[in-house]
Amino acid sequence: MAARGHVQDPNDRRLRPIYDYLDNGNNKMAIQQADKLLKKHKDLHCAKVLKAIGLQRTGKQDEAYALAQEVAALEPTDDNSLQALTILYREMHRPELVTKLYEAAVKKVPNSEEYHSHLFMAYARVGEYKKMQQAGMALYKIVPKNPYYFWSVMSLIMQSISAQDENLSKTMFLPLAERMVEKMVKEDKIEAEAEVELYYMILERLEKYQEALDVVRGKLGEKLTSELQSRENKCMAMYKKLCRWPECNALSRRLLLKNSDDWQFYITYFDSVFQLIDESWTPPLEEEHSLEGEVHYSIEQAVKFIEERITEESKSTRPLRGPYLAKLELIRRLRCRGCNDEYKLGDPEELMFQYFKKFGDKPCCFTDLKVFVDLLPSSQYTKFISQLLEVIPLSSTTESEIALPADIKALQQHLCVVQLSRLLGIYHAMDKKQKLTVVRELMLRYHHGLEFGEEMAVWQCLTLLEEGLSHSPSNAQFKLLLIRIYCRLGAFEPVAELYSSLDAKHIQHDTIGYLLTRYAESLGHYAAASQSCNFALRFFHSNQKDTSEYIIQAYKYGAFEKIPEFIAFRNRLNSSLHFAQVRTERMLLDLLLEANISSSLEESIKSMSLSPEEDDIPWKDLRDNRDLTVLFNWDPKDRDISEEHRKLSLEEETLWLRIRSLTLRLVSGLPTLSHSIQPKNSEKTAENGVSSKIDTIRSLLQQLEAAVDSGKKFLEQKIQYPVLGPPPTRMAGFFSNGSCQCQTSLFYLVSDIYELDTNGLEDSAEVQERIGNSFKSLIERLTDLFNKCKGDLIEVRDGTLKTQPNLLENLVFFVETISITQWVSSYCDGVLRPFKSNLQKKKKKKKETNVAMPPVFTHFLDYVTELQTLTSNVIDHIKGLEIILTALKLEELSLKDTLLLQEEKKFTKTVQGKVQSSYQHSVQEIGELLKKRLDTIKKLKI
Amino acid sequence: MTSLRAFTCDDLFRLGGAALDAVLLNCGPQYGIPFYLQYLAHWPEYFIVAEAPGGELMGYIMGKAEGSVAREEWHGHVTALSVAPEFRRLGLAAKLMELLEEISEKKGGFFVDLFVRVSNQVAVNMYKQLGYSVYRTVLEYYSASNGEPDEDAYDMRKALSRDTEKKSIIPLPHPVRPEDIE
Repeated sequence: MAARGHVQDPNDRRLRPIYDYLDNGNNKMAIQQADKLLKKHKDLHCAKVLKAIGLQRTGKQDEAYALAQEVAALEPTDDNSLQALTILYREMHRPELVTKLYEAAVKKVPNSEEYHSHLFMAYARVGEYKKMQQAGMALYKIVPKNPYYFWSVMSLIMQSISAQDENLSKTMFLPLAERMVEKMVKEDKIEAEAEVELYYMILERLEKYQEALDVVRGKLGEKLTSELQSRENKCMAMYKKLCRWPECNALSRRLLLKNSDDWQFYITYFDSVFQLIDESWTPPLEEEHSLEGEVHYSIEQAVKFIEERITEESKSTRPLRGPYLAKLELIRRLRCRGCNDEYKLGDPEELMFQYFKKFGDKPCCFTDLKVFVDLLPSSQYTKFISQLLEVIPLSSTTESEIALPADIKALQQHLCVVQLSRLLGIYHAMDKKQKLTVVRELMLRYHHGLEFGEEMAVWQCLTLLEEGLSHSPSNAQFKLLLIRIYCRLGAFEPVAELYSSLDAKHIQHDTIGYLLTRYAESLGHYAAASQSCNFALRFFHSNQKDTSEYIIQAYKYGAFEKIPEFIAFRNRLNSSLHFAQVRTERMLLDLLLEANISSSLEESIKSMSLSPEEDDIPWKDLRDNRDLTVLFNWDPKDRDISEEHRKLSLEEETLWLRIRSLTLRLVSGLPTLSHSIQPKNSEKTAENGVSSKIDTIRSLLQQLEAAVDSGKKFLEQKIQYPVLGPPPTRMAGFFSNGSCQCQTSLFYLVSDIYELDTNGLEDSAEVQERIGNSFKSLIERLTDLFNKCKGDLIEVRDGTLKTQPNLLENLVFFVETISITQWVSSYCDGVLRPFKSNLQKKKKKKKETNVAMPPVFTHFLDYVTELQTLTSNVIDHIKGLEIILTALKLEELSLKDTLLLQEEKKFTKTVQGKVQSSYQHSVQEIGELLKKRLDTIKKLKI
Repeated sequence: MTSLRAFTCDDLFRLGGAALDAVLLNCGPQYGIPFYLQYLAHWPEYFIVAEAPGGELMGYIMGKAEGSVAREEWHGHVTALSVAPEFRRLGLAAKLMELLEEISEKKGGFFVDLFVRVSNQVAVNMYKQLGYSVYRTVLEYYSASNGEPDEDAYDMRKALSRDTEKKSIIPLPHPVRPEDIE
């Protein structure tokens, strides 16, 4: 941030120490030094700004802002002040103020290239495309440099991208941009590659593909040199758009001659050949076949071409997979067209066998062949696999009966066969006994291809994986599998550690963060849940700022095609499903842990700037950025994670998010109903066309009901995701354990109490009775919910461990529901209290003894007493669970499984210990929170 | 069997899979999103991704062009080269390096260089096979993490056709400090 300058300005010298203090993080000294300087030099505005930076960094935002505005009002034009203010505004997250600053500066110094360019960048930071266009032109007029002109053109493209009205974008912004570039072309002023790129971008967006092609193939196209095959790639894209199949074919053929391993060109080559065949295309008699040279337009030519590529490949020093796989691809395409082996390409089974012999020791052999297994008839699967097995050098030793691979190469080949067997469904077709034999075999082979299903197998899985991890401490697949399985067992404690050892970085907070956030809170690990939400939120918030910086850089370096890409990237992150979930759950969690415990509900809600009217979730544009394939999967297609699963999971997540977000908004509406915030005759505001607070609540409640209905309908489909597919949401538990009913009835209660509040006690017998009944049924429902929490989390039955992790989820839901109950009751308390004191005053005045207490008071008092008793009972139950968990001696448990080796027994113990400890941790955190809630319930005494 | 194309922002969302396991052949700093965006904004042509027929991300190379032309130091630099474990031993790293060299040739660079941990023998050998030689040792270039000591780097170079006498790769007799390199 240091100030520059050739000739030392005395002010620079004076300011120097303040800069140094700020750079070293010594904000207090910076403020002092600035004060000192300002005493001597009142007009040294920059000192004020630097002081403001110090204030901002020490948490005094308001003071900093006031000071900054003082200087900004003077419309400074010195570099120091402008730069310092820019830094300050950026730290305040107020980039729009920077634009004001430079707008004033260019007005005062209209010929400054520097200020104009700062102004342009300031607009870029906030995405003011129209103003960018003008600023770019203004710059070009002062200094006629090409980049400035094209900044302006690019801003027109951005206006077209961001325009809601597609028509406007195609008829106004883009044609204008096109004309601006054409003008430069005519005047022969095009200088840089970036300018040609931009021209191409405009024509492409205008769907003027022929014109775009002409530009790329013409003289201007000669400038396209930086990117490899830039011209060829662009031409190809245009040929495709224009359905110029002869050119597509000739060009891809040429590119394949250059690099016979580039898959994308094989695809285009085949696509175009078959297109030409279907069109019965024939080459013109006397001219060239096409703009790009010779064209292949028959199956015979394609077959010959591929065979030639294979012959060529055999001469290459490094074996290339491309030509061989291209042959399989050609067979597949021919089969689709009803051809069998008329073209003598060979038997796919034999070709795949040959491929395996050549590339079976490469880890990618499996994914390569996966694409083509459909070419095999299912009757041949077993034969195919045994054929592969025969060529692997396996040797049998006396110690173990099974034959083991002789070296790494053989091991890799064998692994590939195992993967293919699984893909072909050979394992799935086995009965249980056969499966277990395979599992045993695979375990001996040190492989983790276990099946899920029974709890026994789950424990075996964990044991094997922990053992695996101890040998390969950085194997991410082991860790991810462990995370999924521990979560299934309801044990979050080991998960936190495993996840952090994955060292997930930036984007992964979005793509795999769900592994963590789905379970942390729902299993009662509140502290870990807060932490994982924080990691994710920090990433999402920094993204906003970071991307703006690089958008500006892209302008500077003329990487125009990257600008819309960066903006799309920012949008993709901002509308991330995970981001919305984490935001919502984080606030619910904070309320759960703090509201009416360490601060009032009202304060908590205020500090989060929550309001019931506001919905900040982009429902229509939610993007599912989850990486659901982060775990390897070798299953056959029908068991793999399909697009359909993905779609359904997104739907489920969105439904659940809607329920959670509405719950949050309903809770945030509670304080707005109380007297301290709103004048009593609030219905009046409704007359002015603004809906009153209670209307908002009632409408949200309706929406919640609707969301719950949709959620229930969704669950009726009884969707089963693949075991390693997307984890299901908490929605099913929420409905089945009764928390949903409790929570919605609580919000109905709010509406009734509000009615009592506005109408007064007189003539309210009906409402009072309704409220009384609600109290009663609420207690019944909460008791039911408690019953769903009873039982043992872990027990030894028939020599094996049985767990009931759903009890933990239910307990967590109970605590959450009790918290909402307490907030609603506290609102109720606030309404009833003034009624009671009024009545008591009356009573004293009239000295009468027979002023009857309205029934709602007794209802409330009874209800609060029962609520206390129930909560105490749950706390006792949790204590009981804690005692059982501590007393559970797993060492004494002799697992019946005689298959286990001594070494494996050690890991079995580790695994059981981890689960036990995690349960203890959950129960402890849940218990502590519930105790705090009990204390707040005790305060409810009208 | 690979599709090679320009790296885009959307590829960032898929880095997890490969990057989770990936041992970068050329260990650089820990990358954050801004780091990738900076390269995309400044040297998009030097950022290439390789995709498998099944759509899997196989690996990527990221580099830049820098240095003074007048001092004959204008060159291509390999910032990161990463290949997912299941796509190793297919010559993909060599292919990606070849592309980066081709771009640097076109830009008129004198040489291509890269930094590698002196302990990463596998990578050093691979680069040697591709025609790179150790130009100098940079002391304590890699800062310590997880309690391990600082580590030296080899600055490895390969001359391009513009450097006809291969002056750029004559090894320096003495190691240098990180602050002495540009």
